[in-house]
Amino acid sequence: MLPHRSRVAVLVFLLPPLLLYGVAVLLPILQSLGLSLFRWDGITPMEFVGLDNYVRMLGRDDVFWQAFANTLGYLAICLVLQLGGALVVASLLVALRRGRELIKTLYLLPAVISTVAIAFLFRQIYSLDPVGLLNQALDMVGLDGLQQAWLSNVSTVLVAVSVPEGWRFTGLYMLIIYAALMAVPAELEEAARLDGASRWQVFTKIRFPYIRPVWVTTAIMATTYALRGFDIPYLLTNGGPGQASELVTTYMYKSAFSHTDYGYASAISVFIVVECLVAVGLIIALLRRKENA
Amino acid sequence: MRRERLDVHRSLNGVFVGLIVVAQVYPLAWLFLTALRPEQDFASSNPFSLPGALTLDNFARAFETGNLGLNILNSLVVTFGANLLIVALGMMAAYALEVLGFRLRGFVRGLFLIGIIVPVQIALVPLFIDYAAVGLLDTYGSMIIPLAGFALPMSIYLFSSFYHYIPPETYEAASLDGAGPYRIFGQITLPLSLNTIVTIVLVNSIFIWNDFIFANTFVLSDGLKTIPLGLQNYIGAMGNVDWTATFAAVCVTITPLMLVFLVLNKAMIQGLESGAAKG
Repeated sequence: MLPHRSRVAVLVFLLPPLLLYGVAVLLPILQSLGLSLFRWDGITPMEFVGLDNYVRMLGRDDVFWQAFANTLGYLAICLVLQLGGALVVASLLVALRRGRELIKTLYLLPAVISTVAIAFLFRQIYSLDPVGLLNQALDMVGLDGLQQAWLSNVSTVLVAVSVPEGWRFTGLYMLIIYAALMAVPAELEEAARLDGASRWQVFTKIRFPYIRPVWVTTAIMATTYALRGFDIPYLLTNGGPGQASELVTTYMYKSAFSHTDYGYASAISVFIVVECLVAVGLIIALLRRKENA
Repeated sequence: MRRERLDVHRSLNGVFVGLIVVAQVYPLAWLFLTALRPEQDFASSNPFSLPGALTLDNFARAFETGNLGLNILNSLVVTFGANLLIVALGMMAAYALEVLGFRLRGFVRGLFLIGIIVPVQIALVPLFIDYAAVGLLDTYGSMIIPLAGFALPMSIYLFSSFYHYIPPETYEAASLDGAGPYRIFGQITLPLSLNTIVTIVLVNSIFIWNDFIFANTFVLSDGLKTIPLGLQNYIGAMGNVDWTATFAAVCVTITPLMLVFLVLNKAMIQGLESGAAKG
């Protein structure tokens, strides 16, 4: 602590950041909570409707529930690709002797590319006419029967818009998990090997439990990022065809800026926050319970 | 015997990693190849084939069709402005929280923590309404304010955890010489923060440079469009797209950040790892 600290100095340093943060983050959160109790199109006078927006959202709106189910699917695919994929690659990388730095760099590369560029890229990958990369690859391995327009087929579109998001950030999680795996003490693993443990046992009994704290962090990061995922589905399909790839976030955006239903959109955005908080709570509770067992 | 089996395992492992990395990076390589390929060649041939010829025409058309130069300039302004706020205000808050200290610091820390968890979508409608009320809609500020505001908590967190390890004796000597909190901030804390500043700027630049949602919501006029919005202009009416020119534009816009990343990837990777592992 500084000896000569003064109340004025604290305020001088603290007020500007608090001001920006208040205007950009705190005030809008409060405003959203308030707006969610009104019906308002931005032009006519606001009308107080109490909890009606929430009742409508949870009780009467099928599109909302469809969007929520899609969001869970989107989340599941992102988690499998990002955390599952990252764990596999990180484990392989730890065993490698050369080229680790190069591979880390290359693997992270998609994370620096904008979502708009990624949407362009994947539109071409999924394209049927002209034949895109995916359909061409299916043709080359003799699965040409599976060729289709992945983004216009109701049963494939959700997976198709989820994969780019998973692909984009898997490198980030790979790095974090890799750094954690490198910190597992080599003596622990060697002792287990001498006792006759197989590779698989070393992995499940030693490495995996050892990196559990990092597992919690990455699970929280990946889950909350996936729940707020918006850009790629919005750009690739805008929720279509029908509502087949509508997420809660894209539905909220449409309610706000296409239907100018500000009150209802605010209620949905409050739901997105609650969703994230519940997810974080669940992850912490689940992984802590395991620790005690 | 055992040695041999280990080697087989090792090389299989290497082949596996190689395949995965190729699959991960191939789409990007393909993007660059397509940007260099003549238009007819792209339309008529197998997408996996190598270009029949190389051309820079696509880049010429990309610059003719769109406003790439202006888009890049706008993105630079927004990235610079937001980074300036994130770094300056992040350092100030961390200095007040960690070095000066005050009674309500636990509460203030908690307030800033909210911004790490809360998704940006919650702010879109209120900010749109507020901006419309004060005439900030369709300005650089409309993008810079939320981009900086939502990145501020992580910046404060990183600066705080660094300031936490600066030994108090460092300040005491200066303090005995009569330096006040402002001079100590300028002469001791700020110079020591350089590495953390680099990390924070690198990581945040990725997200700011690529921001789509704030720009798409708050910016309407062509003159202010950043790169992500500018790229969308390449989708013509009726969904007709000049793909090779579009890919050329994409390449132009992703190359600066990719080059920075490839040159400075050590610092960036460290920043991402430390930010995440502690967060």
